[in-house]
Amino acid sequence: MAGSGLMNPDLSVVLDVAVAYFGPRGQPIGTGAHDPSRNGFNFQQLEVAIGSSVDPYFRLDAFLVFSEHGVEVEEAFGTTLALPARLQLRAGRFLHRFGRVNATHPHGWSFVDQNLLVGRLFGPEGGGGLGVELSWLSPLPWWLELSATSMTASGAASARSFFGGRDLGVRDPRDLLHVVTVKQFFALDDDWSLLTGVSAALGPNATGRANRTDIVGLDGYLRYRPTRGAAQNAWTLQVEIAHRRRQIPRDVLADWNGYAQLVWQWGRPWAAAARWEYGSSVRGLDGQPVEDPLDPDWTADRHRGAVALTHWPTEFSRIRLQATSDFPAWLDAPRLALFCALELVTGAHGAHAF
Amino acid sequence: MPFDWDERFESMRAPIHRTIRSVARFRHLVLLLLCGSLPGASPARAHEPLRVVATTADLGALAREIGADRVRVSVLALPTQDPHWVDARPSLALELSRADLLLYVGLDLEVGWLPTLLLGARNPRIQPGAPGHLDCSQFVDVLEVPTGRVDRAQGDVHPHGNPHYMLDPRRVVRVVRGIADRLGRLQPAAASHYRSSAEALVGRIERARLDWERRLARLRGTNAVSYHRSVSYLADWLGLRFVGHVEPRPGIPPNPRHVAQLIAAARAAGARLLVQESWHPTNTSRLIAERAGMRLVVLPTGPDVRRGESWTRYMDRLVTALEAVP
Repeated sequence: MAGSGLMNPDLSVVLDVAVAYFGPRGQPIGTGAHDPSRNGFNFQQLEVAIGSSVDPYFRLDAFLVFSEHGVEVEEAFGTTLALPARLQLRAGRFLHRFGRVNATHPHGWSFVDQNLLVGRLFGPEGGGGLGVELSWLSPLPWWLELSATSMTASGAASARSFFGGRDLGVRDPRDLLHVVTVKQFFALDDDWSLLTGVSAALGPNATGRANRTDIVGLDGYLRYRPTRGAAQNAWTLQVEIAHRRRQIPRDVLADWNGYAQLVWQWGRPWAAAARWEYGSSVRGLDGQPVEDPLDPDWTADRHRGAVALTHWPTEFSRIRLQATSDFPAWLDAPRLALFCALELVTGAHGAHAF
Repeated sequence: MPFDWDERFESMRAPIHRTIRSVARFRHLVLLLLCGSLPGASPARAHEPLRVVATTADLGALAREIGADRVRVSVLALPTQDPHWVDARPSLALELSRADLLLYVGLDLEVGWLPTLLLGARNPRIQPGAPGHLDCSQFVDVLEVPTGRVDRAQGDVHPHGNPHYMLDPRRVVRVVRGIADRLGRLQPAAASHYRSSAEALVGRIERARLDWERRLARLRGTNAVSYHRSVSYLADWLGLRFVGHVEPRPGIPPNPRHVAQLIAAARAAGARLLVQESWHPTNTSRLIAERAGMRLVVLPTGPDVRRGESWTRYMDRLVTALEAVP
């Protein structure tokens, strides 16, 4: 049909593969479903992204992920384009906007592997589910966006702090996962940007119909990118912290999680990055460490540090070297991991949010 | 078997409920903000200036000259920023959320950042297909439209053609008329004002063009080198002949082998001029220019709209820079 090509949606394919070495002490203890997980070659994922306007009122985006474990619909959602009052609705399966990194895909990350914070709190695929999100851009002089999401609370890989793999069903709205975010952006000047956020994820957990999990978090993103001259350098500092409380029979469990990462990009094709992550032990109401039914091994504080060097031959290909040292206090010695990862992007891939 | 809620831990809910009660206390403020974001409260009213958002400084400068005090113009990419590589800062989405008219260069120049801003702006007035959405490339004849198969192995090519048409005054006058026509559609009562204002601007540009062509006449037929394929329209207008580019393929940084080949090609062709924008690094260009006996000219990259510079004044600076070529 003449002209039919013009109506095709944007289609792109992103391949992530890596070579990994996990040191003499053996098994990795990363959290991500698509992290390199064994010595030697690792097929992380092949992401197929499809997106286009449906009509003047809706846009459709879908992300299919192929891995060694099969195919999954990572996200598939519609977004409204014409709601009044600066409102926007998303409906379908999607990653919720808790914090900064949760809603992003691996090829938007500055490191090869998933953040501990996301993996521990939400799951190896990142926090998400099937539901609806309403967001609102305020008319204030600076950018302030509120969003409220209600979605399924089940999914071992995406809602592990909530119903997880044990779906107890929905009898009333309290059986859904509710995520609320407030994000603000400040253009400090032409070169400096600051994005801050407050998030809360509230929902039921699988230890009892009325037992709740509350996760609250703060995130910050500070970026310096000169807008004059040819240096094409950029510095970004990204920080997230989250506090989780879970009701279980006869106790309330609480833990802290966080990370800070610094990325220095020089020229267009090079970047160096460093990240430090922390996950506390789980404590009960009496303040003493207790065993976490979700992570029985996680009996003490855990620190993880990583450095990465990235080269982009073009904006569509990326080679990344990463060294990670993991310090779970319950193990006798740190775990070392080395990655060399390749990412290739082809097709029309949509622009990323700031 | 699921466990039941233990009443001893009821206190855990309290902070959440307190937060909800606090929000309820500020419901009047929330209502005020919601009202402020309703369409009726937006600034695109007949008695107020149209809010025009241009992606680049050159389009912004034209809109300001055409609309004068009937428009309020803001520009997303600074003239010192490479429009291919702009951070999609949320503050830019905020500008778009208030816009009555979006002007953009098109031909995928802004594809890396504008679509996400447009989605985040939540502004139906400027979505594709709406009267407030104006792709200015529709007004010009486009150069370097790829024929046959387009592949990224060719570099970061623009599949719909070269988007750097704002360096050719002959094409810019068509853009001026296109913008005026669209402003008139959005504000029919002021359509004649926009039309006459545009024609006055076209007259100024045409008079300036004759002066610029006289001053640069000796460059006609000159062999030259450019960093990026961003001066094709300038070459088309002035009769420059580009014998090579510092980038081996669009968007691909130079490598030593290509630099050596380019120096040889420039020498063989007797190229006198290497032009580039200030956002590209000059170290490789300087080396090539010195080895091949060319003059390196760093072109100004857009009107200084914050200081009210017009597009013709900016082009005058650009012509002055080219006049320095011996």
